[in-house]
Amino acid sequence: MSGATTAAAYLARRAAQKERVRILYRRALKDTLNWAVHRHLFYQDASDLREKFEANKHVEDLDTIDKMIAAGEATYDKWRHPDPYIVPWAPGGSKFTRNPVPPSGIEIVYDYGREEND
Amino acid sequence: MALRAAVLRHIRLPVQTLAATGSRPQPQLSFLRLFSSHDDHLTKEEVIDRVLDVVKSFPKVEPSQVTPDVHFQKDLGLDSLDNVEIVMALEEEFKLEIPDKEADKIDSCNLAIEYIYNHPMAG
Repeated sequence: MSGATTAAAYLARRAAQKERVRILYRRALKDTLNWAVHRHLFYQDASDLREKFEANKHVEDLDTIDKMIAAGEATYDKWRHPDPYIVPWAPGGSKFTRNPVPPSGIEIVYDYGREEND
Repeated sequence: MALRAAVLRHIRLPVQTLAATGSRPQPQLSFLRLFSSHDDHLTKEEVIDRVLDVVKSFPKVEPSQVTPDVHFQKDLGLDSLDNVEIVMALEEEFKLEIPDKEADKIDSCNLAIEYIYNHPMAG
């Protein structure tokens, strides 16, 4: 298995890996915020997380990078918070579909019980 | 939209003095109080101001270089991970939840302002 031999395939694979790394960093950062609610703790943990990502910044070999990304995602899955903070109106939040838009054609007539012969 | 926001900010309600004989007070609606949150969108200047404030307070950024059409990686010299951090800071500022794929595409102040301005739930 010679991997990506052409330059375009190599670049495409690197780009896909970079996107995976970015998404993994984003999720790990949000998870860190879920665990470390107080800001001063969050800043320290976020710096540590950034250090871990920066330490592996200069790896060039595609397979090693893939393995590292897989290991990172496994660590992220292991440390996921059971009750993460989700913005209320987003799926999983507390206000999601709380007040759905009423179906069209329904109308409330405010006549307060008035009868026609008034 | 901007007019209404400006009006709501600067309105003065005229004081009604009722006559003692109980003449009917004429209610004058100087403004309309909307309790619905569906019409309360941010104005573009507010979005731009808040986005620029968030970007300027990022520690790796020089505040003087930040303009509304600056690119995070090309103009400000930031990393892709810094980009992720800025997008997260914008999510926290505007109480949004941006999906991962969309958040990956936000690369510059322009895109951020467009996305936030067009988002229906931007706080």
